[in-house]
Parts: sequence; C-alpha cells; structure tokens
Amino acid sequence: MDVTNIAALSGNLAVVGYGLAAVGPGIGVGLVVSKTIESIARQPELAAKLQVTMWLGIAFTEALALIGLATPFIFA
Amino acid sequence: MSKASSNLFTRVLKLGSALIGAIAVVGGLIGFLVAGIPGLTSALIGASLTLAFVTLTALSVWLGGKLPLGGFFGVVLGGWLVKIVGFALVIGALKGADFINGPVLFFTLVAAILGTLAVDSVLVLKARIPVIGD
Repeated sequence: MDVTNIAALSGNLAVVGYGLAAVGPGIGVGLVVSKTIESIARQPELAAKLQVTMWLGIAFTEALALIGLATPFIFA
Repeated sequence: MSKASSNLFTRVLKLGSALIGAIAVVGGLIGFLVAGIPGLTSALIGASLTLAFVTLTALSVWLGGKLPLGGFFGVVLGGWLVKIVGFALVIGALKGADFINGPVLFFTLVAAILGTLAVDSVLVLKARIPVIGD
C-alpha cells in the first residue's frame, strides 16, 4: 500500500517550544495585570499594596517564561 | 509608591542579589567539578542572567511605582516584554557555544530563579504595607 503525505511539516520543532513558553506566561501576566487594574479601580486607596502583590504574581509567571526559554540547554 | 513599599523592594534587591551570588559560588564549584571550566563559566553566566532578568522586574515595579498609574503599567509591562525578547536573544546566542555546558547553565538558572522567588515571597508576606500612603 502506498503511503501518501497530505501535509508536511518542516523546520525546527524548538520554535514551537519558544512560542509555547511565551504564550502561557503572556496569558498569566495579562490576567494578573487586568485583575490588579480592576481592583485599583474599585479601591484606589489600596494601590500600593496591590502593586506589590501584582509584582509577586508577575515574578512567578515570569519564572515559567524564563525556565521555558532556557530549556534548549537540556533538551537540544 | 509608599515608603514601606520602597523599603520592601530595597530588601528584595539586596537579599535576592546575595542569594544569587551564593548560588553562583556553589553552582560554579559543582559545575567545575562536573564539567571543568565550561561548567564554571556556565554557572556564572546562568547566575548573572538570573540576576539581570529577575531584578529588572523588581526594579521596574519599584521605579514604575513613582509614576502615575498608566506610566506604572507601561513601565512594568513594556519592561517585561523587552526583557523576555532580550532573554530569548541571549539564550539563542549562547546555545551551542563552546564555553557552555548546557545542563549546568540550565540548573543554575532554575535554582537561582526558584531561590529568588522564595526570597520574594517570604519578604512580601512579612512586609507591613500600610493602606494609607505617606
């Protein structure tokens, strides 16, 4: 039986990994920031406290991005 | 940004830098024992990359906090975007270099990132930030 390819994928698969490492944390940071803006709009007097909490959220999300982008060092 | 928040960020930057310095020393030693000179340089590069990219986030929030709210989000999010693109470029440039040992660099980077996250979390939980500003 002949095998027919109806679609071919070429290129470096690591690029997909780079993309995924950017998409997840991007969504995470977007959610953290949107909720912070919403909270500051509701209670502006809490802005300083919310900014610090937001930074912690961003730091955790960013850790995923940095680790995801550095994976070529072990998976390559 | 209130004085309490500024104090928090000063402590975060100082303690985070000290921890990354300690991880660079330990990682460099382990890297040297495991892979020789490339292991040592990889550990030092991994630790310095973490120092640069993680402390930039804290710095952007700290400095952005002195601006109006729109400026704050502009500095924090714009800085984040530039940082991630810069990090991807640095990783792309380092990948495949002769003086790099991949696993040593990766695990030093992960250890430094997790360590600074722990320091950040503990300091934020302990911080007493008043609701009323200065």
